[in-house]
Amino acid sequence: MNTKQKLLLNRNFHPNLVLLVLLIIILILSIVSLGLGAIYITPSEIIRNFIGEETQSQRFILNNYRLPRIIIAIIVGAGLATAGAILQGILRNPLASPDVIGVTKGAGLAAVIIIVLFPSSPIIFLPLSAFIGAAIIATILMLFVYKKGAQPNTLALVGIALGAICQAGIEYFMIKFPDNVNSTLLWLTGSLWARGWEHVYILLPCLILIPLLIGLTSKLDILSLGDDIATSLGERSKFLRYILLSVAVILIGVCVATVGSIGFIGLIAPHIARRIVGSKFKVLLPASALVGAALLLVADSLGRGLFPPLEIPAGIITAVIGAPYFLYLLRSERKKA
Amino acid sequence: MQSFIKLGKLSGLTLILLFTIMMVLAGCNAAQNNTDKEKEEQTSTGAKESKGRVIKHEMGETVIKNTPKKIVTLELSFVDSLNTLGMTPLGIADDNKKDMIAKLVGSDIDYTSVGTREQPSLEVISSLQPDLIIADVERHSAIYKDLQQIAPTIVLKSRESTYQENLDSFKTIAETLGQAETAEKRLSEHEKIINEINSKLNLDTNLTVLPAVVRDTSFQAHTTSSYDGELLEKLGLKVAIQDEQPYVEMSLEQLVEINPDVLLLANNEGKLLTDEWKDNPLWKDLKAVKNDQIYSVDRDLWTRFRGIISAEAIAKDTLTKLNEK
Repeated sequence: MNTKQKLLLNRNFHPNLVLLVLLIIILILSIVSLGLGAIYITPSEIIRNFIGEETQSQRFILNNYRLPRIIIAIIVGAGLATAGAILQGILRNPLASPDVIGVTKGAGLAAVIIIVLFPSSPIIFLPLSAFIGAAIIATILMLFVYKKGAQPNTLALVGIALGAICQAGIEYFMIKFPDNVNSTLLWLTGSLWARGWEHVYILLPCLILIPLLIGLTSKLDILSLGDDIATSLGERSKFLRYILLSVAVILIGVCVATVGSIGFIGLIAPHIARRIVGSKFKVLLPASALVGAALLLVADSLGRGLFPPLEIPAGIITAVIGAPYFLYLLRSERKKA
Repeated sequence: MQSFIKLGKLSGLTLILLFTIMMVLAGCNAAQNNTDKEKEEQTSTGAKESKGRVIKHEMGETVIKNTPKKIVTLELSFVDSLNTLGMTPLGIADDNKKDMIAKLVGSDIDYTSVGTREQPSLEVISSLQPDLIIADVERHSAIYKDLQQIAPTIVLKSRESTYQENLDSFKTIAETLGQAETAEKRLSEHEKIINEINSKLNLDTNLTVLPAVVRDTSFQAHTTSSYDGELLEKLGLKVAIQDEQPYVEMSLEQLVEINPDVLLLANNEGKLLTDEWKDNPLWKDLKAVKNDQIYSVDRDLWTRFRGIISAEAIAKDTLTKLNEK
């Protein structure tokens, strides 16, 4: 088996060591990211600001803009990557991602409706409706799949169909209301611009969900052996799939609601993680989370630091990094087959 | 069983690590929140002491002390408003187009770009330490709180605003800057200029005019409720489409059906849909084409700037173009 070979190949490092290294990388990235932006702050100035020797305007920028954005990038990156890894596990399809099951598209459609039809509604409505949109699509998905016994293929196909319907809706609104295309596109690309502490609070559920999912990982390893084996090992595979799917969907919903539908993180982070630690979920999941966090952190820092004072939405950067990697993945998948 | 214990250890470790990071970061946040609150209290008590003016705007009320001098504007019409009052902003959300601002103000001015109107850089705005921020209700309501933290902020209608709403925004800005009287004078002068041009325009009042934005794939007609449409009506012209929607996407067939006498086209940069239409017999059948009554107008001036000076420039532009013949 291919995965087994890979597993053997990649088990050179102790998983805990890998995780620790990833964590250190994230910490270093965070510190670099704190300095980047329209106002460049040197690392020594950052340290001085944090030990109390503060420059008022720098401290304001660090505390109000950069720090919350870094935390959001870490949580959202980790959330999307974990959800992606789980979906790839449940669907037993390496190309599965939050986009594939239609949930992000559902959130997107709901957000577009709010942006276009109710532009003067309170600000909180946007993330709220995005989450509701994601939840509605997820519920429909579950209902459809329930009859068929949550088979991986049914899940993927129903998800893609639902996503296509939502995409059609999004395009309808964008053509019908061309004057709002800018703000709509911005949301659909996903950006961390102007996200602050209040958004960190929205993301708090992720801090419970991500560790919860990581805790459930042994089950995922059993599920990936196939339904028959899983059942004979005493697992209720249908039920398990439901639980995991629900948690992943909530995670995606919360993340997408806060920053918009940032793509590719949920797809490529698990793959990068798999190359480093192999495909056993109990290591793969935390590794994916950390890789995802690092990726979004890099994307947001680049977006902020490349052409100040203009900002490139993080979603565009992840697409620029992600799309070529995705093509490469498709190629190597084909070779294997 | 053994694998279970191992698993417990591992996820426990990651859990602990994740939570430590979060706790540390949350700690920083808590400290920051406190200082913010102190700051807010200070400013609010300070305001009461010096009894600032209370300015009502789209997002509530803002207390303005003294006369703001360091102003950041996040929409183009606000630059026009300040210019009308003889002031220039310290920072402008200029979409990184210095030329456009030079065209708007009429000369090169010294200012700092704060990024795009869609996503102005809060970092740059805060580094400028302004004493007033003027933001647009459509684009910037979501960041009103963030802007308030930097400086007193007023949120007004600019993007997609009507002619009248734009004048109201100008009045509010003048009031904020303690120049309400100057503004009144300037407004009556503005009215005079518009009326003067109205009387000079010697176009038959039965003729219809249609302003439109042409892009590579769309022809967007502006109706009586659009900014330029409303202004043209003020000049005594008859805009071809009466509608509550400011903009209407049109096909060539629809355009032929309305068949306006005069077309004022604000062409976008690059390829244009009308280039494709030119070979179409329907296009050649248009009254405006037959009588050579198609004028191209400046896209920035006619559809982007908005404001007292810009409105007057549009009016003069209309006068010279339509009186040519």
